[in-house]
Amino acid sequence: MAKILLVEDDDLVRDMLTQVLQRASHTVLCATNGEEATHYLQKEKPDLMVTDIIMPKKSGITLISEVKNRHPNLEIIAISGGGRLDPTGYLDLSESLGASVSFEKPIDNTALLMAIDLLLHSKKEKVGN
Amino acid sequence: MITPISQQKPWLPYLVAGIGIVISFLLWHFILWHHIEAYLDALLPYKSYLSWLMLLLGVSFSILAGAIIRIIQLDYERTALLNQMQTMLKKEIAERMLAEESKQKLEVALLQGQKLQAIGTLAGGIAHDFNNILYAIIGYTEMLREDEDVNSLKYNNLGRVLEATQRGRELIARILAFSRKQHHEFDMIDLNHTIETALSLLKPTIPASVMVQFESSKDISIVGNQTQIHQVLVNIINNAVDAMEGEGTITIHTTHLPPDDPLLKQLTKTSIQKYCKLEISDTGHGMDQATMERAFEPFFTTKEVGKGSGLGLSIVHSIIKEHKGEILLNSQLGHGTTFTILLPECLS
Repeated sequence: MAKILLVEDDDLVRDMLTQVLQRASHTVLCATNGEEATHYLQKEKPDLMVTDIIMPKKSGITLISEVKNRHPNLEIIAISGGGRLDPTGYLDLSESLGASVSFEKPIDNTALLMAIDLLLHSKKEKVGN
Repeated sequence: MITPISQQKPWLPYLVAGIGIVISFLLWHFILWHHIEAYLDALLPYKSYLSWLMLLLGVSFSILAGAIIRIIQLDYERTALLNQMQTMLKKEIAERMLAEESKQKLEVALLQGQKLQAIGTLAGGIAHDFNNILYAIIGYTEMLREDEDVNSLKYNNLGRVLEATQRGRELIARILAFSRKQHHEFDMIDLNHTIETALSLLKPTIPASVMVQFESSKDISIVGNQTQIHQVLVNIINNAVDAMEGEGTITIHTTHLPPDDPLLKQLTKTSIQKYCKLEISDTGHGMDQATMERAFEPFFTTKEVGKGSGLGLSIVHSIIKEHKGEILLNSQLGHGTTFTILLPECLS
């Protein structure tokens, strides 16, 4: 269906989301932090990126702002585990920086898959026009 | 203030001595010389010596009487002064005890505030990690469940796992609610006075080789929680002291911010609300760009293990946000650090 770049530092969540996305027939590229994701984006052209916010080396916030400058057409979904400083603030910020949708963990995977489908569909329509 | 006796009647001893001397002379002249001279002539061949001796005794006694009065006066004055000093000392001791008591109360409140804030932040941190764990459990369970027959025992049991995760989710939501919405009483507070109190609290912990300069603009009031503002100052100043490794200058500056200040435009703050600025600068070792970016992050610390919790500046950040303010960090390696805090000013 689509090539999705998944950026998540937590092994358990990353592996689980990979399986969820693969079961929905998507091809998944996995990165464990913002830096790895940047390297992937130099070689690959994913249709959509799902990224965590609080990560080592390069945070999701930095990644989103960089990606929106270099790959303005890439759809982004931000996910955050909440807690720490102000998770809703982080998610609001990620949306203001260019993320199309944001989800607070634990996420309803059905809703996540629906959001992915909707974004990919609207992207296709935009390209078609 | 009690007026000393010697100041009230300083002439008294001299008067007594003078009167005594005059009386002695009169006695000597009128009584001894003129009236009983004849008797004395018969009784004592050395009457002139005796009369001189009596005069001498009279004068000496008068001087002695004056001196005794003076000594009594001085003694009275010293006693009065001692009593006065004792009263003042008692008053000072009572004032100091009261100040010490209020300082202790303030310290306890501050510590309590710090603890609550730390628990809140810690709870938030735990919630963050726990949500990830929970999310993994939910995700894997859902996938397993999808593969099972709806009527099978496995399907039902996996459903029970999901119910349990739902309870966990609710518990996390409650923990997060605690960490995000701790209730703090807000009052109108004098910012400069709050800074002065915080400085007096910190004074014993700041090395003598670290200079603290406080420059303030008059009448700066904000609506906020004094203990929380204390926490902000204590955390930033403690960091500054650590950064200076025992030597340097900390400058604290408060000022009213003009509505057209470029800083407000930069932060897209409305021109209707007036802001005041609190700047805290140190001459410490400063921070590099990477440290600056993570400075407000919870559990991030550059200090040795056991020396810093990594919560101080994240607490500062959340307090300033709770006060509808902004905090900016400006630092350069080797050139010190400046924290600029903007807080909505209370005009009434």
